[in-house]
Amino acid sequence: MDTITFPITLIDKNKLLVKIDLRIYAKESVNAACYKFTNKFFVNQQISSESESVINVIFESKNEENISEETIKSFCNELIDQQVRYNTNLQFGHIRDLIVEEAFKPVNQ
Amino acid sequence: MNNKYQILPFRFVRFNDSEYLLTNDVGEYIFLTNDDFEKFINKDLDTSSTIFQDIASKQIATTDNVNDVVKMLATKFRTKKSILRDFTCLHMVVPTLRCNSSCIYCQVARKNIDDHEADMTKKTAKNVVKTIFQSPSPYIKIEFQGGDPSTYFEMVKFIIEEAEWQNLFKKRELGFVICTNVTLLTPGMVKYLKKHKCEISTSLDGPKELHNINRPLQDTIHTHEKFEENIRMIRKICGDNSVSALMTTSKYSLGHFKEIIDEYVRMGYNNIFLRALNPYGFAKQYKEKIAYPIEDFINNYIEGLDYIIDLNKNGTFFIEGYAALLLKRILTPFATGFVDLQSPAGVGIAGAIYDWDGNVYVADEGRMLARFNDFYFKLGNVNEDSYQSMFNGEKLHNIIKNACTECLPMCSECVYNPYCGADPVRNYSEQGDMVGHRPTSDMCKKNTAIIHHLFELLKKHDPEINRIFWSWIN
Ligand code: SF4
Repeated sequence: MDTITFPITLIDKNKLLVKIDLRIYAKESVNAACYKFTNKFFVNQQISSESESVINVIFESKNEENISEETIKSFCNELIDQQVRYNTNLQFGHIRDLIVEEAFKPVNQ
Repeated sequence: MNNKYQILPFRFVRFNDSEYLLTNDVGEYIFLTNDDFEKFINKDLDTSSTIFQDIASKQIATTDNVNDVVKMLATKFRTKKSILRDFTCLHMVVPTLRCNSSCIYCQVARKNIDDHEADMTKKTAKNVVKTIFQSPSPYIKIEFQGGDPSTYFEMVKFIIEEAEWQNLFKKRELGFVICTNVTLLTPGMVKYLKKHKCEISTSLDGPKELHNINRPLQDTIHTHEKFEENIRMIRKICGDNSVSALMTTSKYSLGHFKEIIDEYVRMGYNNIFLRALNPYGFAKQYKEKIAYPIEDFINNYIEGLDYIIDLNKNGTFFIEGYAALLLKRILTPFATGFVDLQSPAGVGIAGAIYDWDGNVYVADEGRMLARFNDFYFKLGNVNEDSYQSMFNGEKLHNIIKNACTECLPMCSECVYNPYCGADPVRNYSEQGDMVGHRPTSDMCKKNTAIIHHLFELLKKHDPEINRIFWSWIN
């Protein structure tokens, strides 16, 4: 764990806090990334009292096990992936809607 | 460098440490190195590069007029979803709950062979057939389930003849299937089924010892012998490929997939569908006795699939059905309806089940839930409700709204979405609501692992494996 020190704080052996900068990641991306980890963790998200642009995410292991460094690294990568999805979706989301609309358009129109 | 391009809708995953896998809604896919992926999303790829041309050929990006590409993708998407056009074509009918087997994983409240309490009446049967023919589908398949429908063969005959009579006026493409353990079928019954073009589908769980553990008959210890004897009799009357077989994986099957596959080969089959148990209708203590972690099934499945590929390499043509279905979705533009794995889910709109008492459920699992007094997936009763109220009612609309992977949490962004499907009944019974929770879903774990494995095999570009895969889907 000590190789990643900031922005991660170990609160307890099975509980840690990750600070996420909302100037880098959209709330939607943070939420989607957290969702994927709800199989192993209870996840709580709160806007930081120190800054509106920071979100505190607290992970608490469901089975009392220590949270591994590997898990945190995967979460960080997942955040990046979710942000890429968010950004690319802004570029092509409307095209997906057009495709579905065109595909299911009544044939007599 | 010319890097002006429009990125089109796609989904992605980090496939391994060095590559990303990208797919789009019509099932096209491409692997990109981490470096190329980064360049691609940052619009730093040269449009004259081979890699960009490959991406464009999959319609994941374009330099053409977007409206034209939208039209093309819409046509492909419509083709992929064309299974929706016909509405409900699979109609499962339960003539009785009587059965002469005691399968260890049976989830039906089966009745003893001489207990007629749960036999369908003629009035209900007539209303079932009437309801079925109100479906707008040009194809109607009536599949007899049970109990074992052969224990009430008179009712099977009644329904077949009633349906044939109705069809004189309705003129649909009508077919029948009987799902039976075959042990009670006599040559006379088989000749009748042959005459009425009723296919026979049975269950074979593996070699003798395993089959007898999983599917014991009530009145003999010689289940497998009786089964094999009757399969021979049916084949003699109807031909070599006249009985299809399904396997179910119980706890006892684990570690024996090779023997199970060998038994299918020995019995003259050229395909198998390696199927996990869905133990959601069981009481907890019972579940512990016969169920197993999904990871165990996945490992066995992958070993089994690899063994089947080796069989093919060594000259035995043999198909694994689930892989074949997924490969067809991955490698071809065609639509593949499969009630248990499609989006929107097939519940009610592709298949429905009519229980012995006339109750109509969106899926067999809905019928199982009703055993525990949960009638959430009951659409109505053929003796009381109209076709319109059951199949165009608020309930089915609501179920389908929750059954599209395109908008379910996690599925909507999942790279395997174009090949996967939703199962609101399973989500409801295992996870408490129809939307479900993918991070803890066994079905999701299974599909992710199997599709991932297939992509690993495709990525090898092994001409022999590719030839085998194409032989399965052609
Ligand atoms: S069920 Fe799982 S594998 Fe299938 S589309 Fe949804 S997230 Fe993907």
